[in-house]
Amino acid sequence: MNNWRFKEIVVMAALAVVFGVVYLAFLPLGSLLVGFMGPIGYDFIFGIWFIVSIIAAYILQKPGAAFLSETIAAMIEVLLGNAVGPMLIVTGMVQGIGAEAVFAATRWKNYSTWVLIAAGMGSSVTSFIYGYFMSGYAALATEYVIAMFVVRLISGALIAGLLGKALSEGLARTGALSSFALGKQQRKDAA
Amino acid sequence: MFLQRLNPSYKAVTIIVFIIFLATIFEPVTPLLFLIWTLAVTFLFGGVSLKKYLLYFTPFIIFALGMLWTSIAFADTPNNPSDTISLFGTSLPKESVLTALALSLRVLNVAALSLMFVFTTNIVHFILSMMQQLKLPPRIAYGVLAGYRFLPMLKDELMIIHDAHRIRGVNQAKTMREKWQNYKRYLIPLLASAIRKAERTAMAMESKGFTGDKSRSFYRQFSIQKQDFIFSIIMLIGFTISYLISYQLG
Amino acid sequence: MKPLLQVENLSLRYEMEKQNVLSSLNFKLNRGESVLLLGPSGSGKSTLTSCLNGLFPRELDGEMSGNVFVHGVENRETKPGERSQAVGVVFQDPETQFCMMTVEDEVAFGLENIGIAHQEMEEKIDSALALVNMLPYKKTDIATLSGGQKQKLALACILALKPELIILDEPTANLDPIATRDFISTLKDLKNNLNFGLIVIEHKLDGWTEITERVILLNQHGEIFHDGSIREVIKEKGQQLKEEGIWIPRVTEHILREHPYLQEPPLTVEEYRRNPVLLADREIDQPIKTESNTVPLLEAKDISWTVNKHEILHNISLTFHQGEFVAIVGANGSGKTSLSRMLAGLRQPTTGNLLVHGKPIKQWKESMLRQEIGYVFQNPEHQFITNTVYDEVAFSLQWKDMRPSQVQEKVEEILDTCGLLKLKHAHPFTLSQGQKRRLSVATMLIDNQSLLLLDEPTFGQDAHSNQELMKLLHKKHQTGATLIMITHDMDLIHDYATRVIIMKDGRVVEDCSPSELWKGDPEKLEAWQLTLPVAVQLKNIYEEEVNDVLTTT
Ligand SMILES: Nc1ncnc2c1ncn2[C@@H]1O[C@H](COP(=O)(O)OP(=O)(O)OP(=O)(O)O)[C@@H](O)[C@H]1O
Ligand SMILES: Nc1ncnc2c1ncn2[C@@H]1O[C@H](COP(=O)(O)OP(=O)(O)OP(=O)(O)O)[C@@H](O)[C@H]1O
Ligand SMILES: [Mg+2]
Ligand SMILES: [Mg+2]
Repeated sequence: MNNWRFKEIVVMAALAVVFGVVYLAFLPLGSLLVGFMGPIGYDFIFGIWFIVSIIAAYILQKPGAAFLSETIAAMIEVLLGNAVGPMLIVTGMVQGIGAEAVFAATRWKNYSTWVLIAAGMGSSVTSFIYGYFMSGYAALATEYVIAMFVVRLISGALIAGLLGKALSEGLARTGALSSFALGKQQRKDAA
Repeated sequence: MFLQRLNPSYKAVTIIVFIIFLATIFEPVTPLLFLIWTLAVTFLFGGVSLKKYLLYFTPFIIFALGMLWTSIAFADTPNNPSDTISLFGTSLPKESVLTALALSLRVLNVAALSLMFVFTTNIVHFILSMMQQLKLPPRIAYGVLAGYRFLPMLKDELMIIHDAHRIRGVNQAKTMREKWQNYKRYLIPLLASAIRKAERTAMAMESKGFTGDKSRSFYRQFSIQKQDFIFSIIMLIGFTISYLISYQLG
Repeated sequence: MKPLLQVENLSLRYEMEKQNVLSSLNFKLNRGESVLLLGPSGSGKSTLTSCLNGLFPRELDGEMSGNVFVHGVENRETKPGERSQAVGVVFQDPETQFCMMTVEDEVAFGLENIGIAHQEMEEKIDSALALVNMLPYKKTDIATLSGGQKQKLALACILALKPELIILDEPTANLDPIATRDFISTLKDLKNNLNFGLIVIEHKLDGWTEITERVILLNQHGEIFHDGSIREVIKEKGQQLKEEGIWIPRVTEHILREHPYLQEPPLTVEEYRRNPVLLADREIDQPIKTESNTVPLLEAKDISWTVNKHEILHNISLTFHQGEFVAIVGANGSGKTSLSRMLAGLRQPTTGNLLVHGKPIKQWKESMLRQEIGYVFQNPEHQFITNTVYDEVAFSLQWKDMRPSQVQEKVEEILDTCGLLKLKHAHPFTLSQGQKRRLSVATMLIDNQSLLLLDEPTFGQDAHSNQELMKLLHKKHQTGATLIMITHDMDLIHDYATRVIIMKDGRVVEDCSPSELWKGDPEKLEAWQLTLPVAVQLKNIYEEEVNDVLTTT
């Protein structure tokens, strides 16, 4: 954390807060989908819950951004008092680790579209493994579990990876990121 | 109230420990009994308003019911298919029903434990105590606190963006579809403004001498006291009793 | 002994700019000394603040050269946040300098940073709050404070840390006249007791010269062109002051206008009182006749507004006719902004009705209504919806039937008048506070709504911009538009308004012409947190004197 500027931490926290609220807004939708379709309902929109780690990592391009932002967003959800409780923080951490691992594999140097998509899918993988044990997917039929996994992977790639990238770039265009990595990179590309 | 006075970090850790305990249980009786215990503690020692509690708890009930029927419907082939019980006129494998029940009750119990925490904890105090008891680095703790301040501002911020668009004559949304489009149009300005504010707040904090040093003093001090241990003991008693009764029943 | 502050050859350039914002600044400040830092809007005053407290170059996207020493230690040799313990800053924008929820926690935050022991903290918080008369608000939520209270809290936070140097960046820009006066006198007392170094950045000097007469003047290129006594500058460099658009005290300005060769013009009303010279009665523009027998342009019928069970506006009824130039005044937090929002149709009153051209506002189509009513927000940033200065102004023209070349011509013309042409590719949010204000006003002036509501359109402006802005507004008024303007600047009202509405605690307590108001009871004025315009004060003093002379002889 020592090579982080304090304002990067606060910006990451602010992003996490905004998305913590967005995440909460999607929880009832998820519950509704589960109510109708069973556990797989969640998986269709699961990517939305990883989006902040992609956005924070892409904007700040610092080791730890994906993991921390997701963790803080989860914390905010807990603190707002609507979610699965303190355990959700652990869930957030697990999801964050998935994305962080992908960025780590590029030594936090590469933030191309494919890496962002892979990071979204990384969260899908870790969150699925965690869910498998914690929510007892083991008790479900194997084909069903595989279907869940595939749906979640796609959701992670599209919603977290691609939508996250699009949002970050939209933000960069407003000039708000001028003193952060993504803003600087875009200015260099433009020059 | 007793629950409100506890050390927030200690309370959080205790609750997480019990949630982990619950994750190791695969029969329905323990979570059911412990759920009752949790609710009792929440209302006796937390003075939580019932109306508010129900508002938050109901979604979990719906969620748990969803879990229940799907886990039965999509269950793995049971080891012992001949052992069935009849429910709503259909006969179902007993094993699947029990597992499904155990899962759903676990969800409810976890929810109740979390709500116990949420309804009795001041968020700022929680973050401050994480810094003091759990060694959360001040840079992160205060970063999060600063970020947390944006929460109440988000609604105002949306309103401001909305007003600006109106004043500047940007077309008004009438249909649901247009409204949704509008929200999309707002998300980026909203994030942009949050980022700008965050940046300035960070600079303002450094201008007040914030260095992120661990050696800072605290205006609001938190410590772990006897009452915190009493809380864990209360919870432990509840869990042990539930477990023993369930064991007795087989 | 080393000076408290020493700036050597300081130059600074922002990353995307070609020119330096600050060029080769050199100055010194000794312990306990005070100075006023003046310069046109955009000359780099706020930028300099960030250099002095060590935020730049660390947080700067751009280049900074030269040195800043505090007690002989270069800023670059200190850790982030460390320098701030010696140099305290109250920033220009009061909204974004807090990081905690409540007043006490905010003050405590600074004390925690410097490791004050827990046992001593309570007492230090109380004494800092007491210094600025904010003790009763100790447990209050910061978000509910009014603009003026926020400014005082920011000062208390800094005072608690006992820095050796305090920098205030336009601390009174949004305060009502009495609050401004009190703020300055509080500061003066504090300084006598605590003996800190003080740098004050302000546009309007009135009152500040009582604290110090040393001024450092920046020009448009960010160079120091004078460092010395204000009296000297006025005597020797009057012309240059005018060219740079720097205000001189209002009293001095009035006197010099009539007696340009006066050797020692007074700086304050008090000085004038000691030696009053003749002032001719200035002609005031004839108020435009309003046609009160036609249908009113805008009519508020018994409107009230309640948020969170608090009634903020109480039973307000007002009628506005075409061609009026109305000023709304009143103390901080008296409900001016809230009222203007209702009048603009941005918020629905809880009870009561609003008629535009005799038709209830609810029956208006939003798009039609916006062609009738323009609005300038109190916070300029709220106005902006595009990403460059140029687009921001051009946006208002996009619905009009105009050739692109015509649009460009018109946009550039108004940007030039507002001194923003050079910045047309800049992002609105990177402008200086005064530039933001002008841009937000420009976006509305270019459009041709018949009714314009402006919430403090001239705060934070230098003399030149102030004049240009008022000229534009005046022109607009001359073409028949109706203007409703919220302001704390009494002289502006004296010079331009045809009608004044005074608010107090969410009620309209007076509605008359400016000259009637000046003739009214001075105590009432004070109770409304208002003062007389300088021109009127001088005139009154002069007449008193003449009377005295007449009665004594
Ligand atoms: N972050 C930034 N990036 C680029 N340019 C900037 C930035 N901040 C300020 N500027 C420019 O630098 C110049 C000086 O700005 P500054 O805010 O220091 O002016 P100021 O003297 O305080 O003006 P005012 O009296 O209006 O507050 C302005 O032209 C402004 O547009
Ligand atoms: N949305 C809101 N929610 C709660 N209180 C509000 C809200 N808006 C305004 N107020 C309160 O209403 C009162 C009037 O506020 P308003 O902004 O209208 O004052 P003002 O006259 O414009 O003051 P200033 O000169 O400082 O701009 C204040 O006490 C303020 O705290
Ligand atoms: Mg400034
Ligand atoms: Mg106002």
